[in-house]
Amino acid sequence: MKKDIFVIAESDRGCITPETYELITFAEELSGGLLPTVIILGSNNETQAKELAEKTGADVLCVTSDHLKLYNTQAYCDAILDILPKDNPSWVCLAHTSTGYDLAPRIAVKLNCACITAVEKIRGNILSRSLYQGRFTADIIPDTPSAVLTVLAGSFPASVSESNSPGSVRMLQASVPPLKTETLGIKESEHRDSNLNDAEVIVAAGRGVGKKENISLINELAEIFPRSAVGASRSVCDSGWLEYSHQIGTTGQTVSPKLYIACGISGAIQHVSGMKKSQNIVAVNSDPNAAIFRVAHYCIVEDLTSFIPILIDEFKGFSLLRRLF
Amino acid sequence: MKILVCVKQVPDSCDTLALDEKAGWITYKPSTVFRMNRYDEFVLEEALLIKENYSGTVIHALSVGPERVGSTVRRALEMGADHGIHILKPSESYISPFAVASLIAAYARDKGYDLIMTGVMAEDDMACQTGQLIAALMDKPCATSVIKTQIHPEDSTVIADREIEGGRRLSVRLEIPAVLTIQPGINTPRYPSLSNVMRARTQKQEVMRSEDLPLPETRERCTGVRLPDSASLGMFIEGSSREKARKLLHVLHEKSLLLERKSL
Repeated sequence: MKKDIFVIAESDRGCITPETYELITFAEELSGGLLPTVIILGSNNETQAKELAEKTGADVLCVTSDHLKLYNTQAYCDAILDILPKDNPSWVCLAHTSTGYDLAPRIAVKLNCACITAVEKIRGNILSRSLYQGRFTADIIPDTPSAVLTVLAGSFPASVSESNSPGSVRMLQASVPPLKTETLGIKESEHRDSNLNDAEVIVAAGRGVGKKENISLINELAEIFPRSAVGASRSVCDSGWLEYSHQIGTTGQTVSPKLYIACGISGAIQHVSGMKKSQNIVAVNSDPNAAIFRVAHYCIVEDLTSFIPILIDEFKGFSLLRRLF
Repeated sequence: MKILVCVKQVPDSCDTLALDEKAGWITYKPSTVFRMNRYDEFVLEEALLIKENYSGTVIHALSVGPERVGSTVRRALEMGADHGIHILKPSESYISPFAVASLIAAYARDKGYDLIMTGVMAEDDMACQTGQLIAALMDKPCATSVIKTQIHPEDSTVIADREIEGGRRLSVRLEIPAVLTIQPGINTPRYPSLSNVMRARTQKQEVMRSEDLPLPETRERCTGVRLPDSASLGMFIEGSSREKARKLLHVLHEKSLLLERKSL
């Protein structure tokens, strides 16, 4: 059956997010090359809608209302459901972000359809997603005519229009439904470590570090590089081994240093999405099947607690030799 | 306050998992150890903190799965939950977030919970769906990735700060009853007290057979589980530990990543 494909655009501080352009590429693959219809919700968002239509060539439905200025699950869900065709199945694609995974299951329940989240690949109608921090891949097929999907950031290239003709932009109003939730506002992050953004080398600690005392090894390794900083996976911060200002990944910071050394990091996509654009990635992990080795350029299967001291020791010998000759 | 905390049991480590290509699913070895999903420890702790602030609060802990899941319900009792519920679903094969959420929603529907709380996701399938699905199925408001909760009994609302991209926080006020999915790091989960451990040892769990709850038709199917495409593997540096260290330094030097540091 023919299905209509919709992409829910996201913007952050007035800019369309990179994930939105990736979603359009995903939707094109899903439909076999046809551009999806893009839905953008917010207030004062006509400029963004036009930008999307121009850059991608896709038709854009722009829903504008004051009550959509900040994200609200129920308001966004109702506004999207109002737009979707009643007599034809729709596939709704969202980014796997705090907005996307908040919204997707609710839309799916309202449409009585499958909800498949954190999709990374598509082959025909088979959607692939990771299990166990990337150790396994599961292939999932929706059994319902409609489906709601969320797509992991960085899984698809950003869409660029091949033709010169921009898509159409249609402005729509949304009525304000009675809401059981009220969005109060956004607070800026208290943890922003500018060191991470300026660093040319980042040495990052994962759960494999084992205990708080071993963080000193990570610090020592970072110290052998000029302009370096220490990063961490989410679980290291949750365990209190490092402050949240060191956190790299979806809910932390996104970095792209010249060199990223991942120590004891499993390679969960939530972390990888924040560091995979690093120019050179070295991974040290005792588990040869760790998912981080799929992202790393140089893979070392070693226990970091014994390996890092050897690496530092060798470095000292190495730099001494270079100074002598 | 009456709180339902949903907990999931997961394998302690991926190392004891095997692929059953024929069945297209993951199988466990006899050596596989199971424990509570780490994300859910924060959920239980948050419920316990609410209970400490609002006397008369009752915490129910619920888990869906085969026999083995009873030990995770017991763990929740050990941490301080008042009542344990096990929705017994004997199968070890793929179970979708929608199926789990449907069972929980069917159980919870007439129980009058003020808050239903889940972890933001589980370590095994990382779907980020169950809490939101429960909320949608029960037509309750929901906030995900909650990093701070503030209960306001005077007007029966809860203010939840959601952690969004870049560590920013989106603050939402929800009418109670509500569903919250909890972000790790919101608190520091406690270790069970000896008295709770003793109590949990003998406390009877409420066991509900999944067949006795209405379960809608499945909406998606898992056609197989496999190892990820290996084409993208990086270069493995081989040798003794010391050889690996030397080879790595050599590579970094060639790429001009080892700059002189005057202080050394």
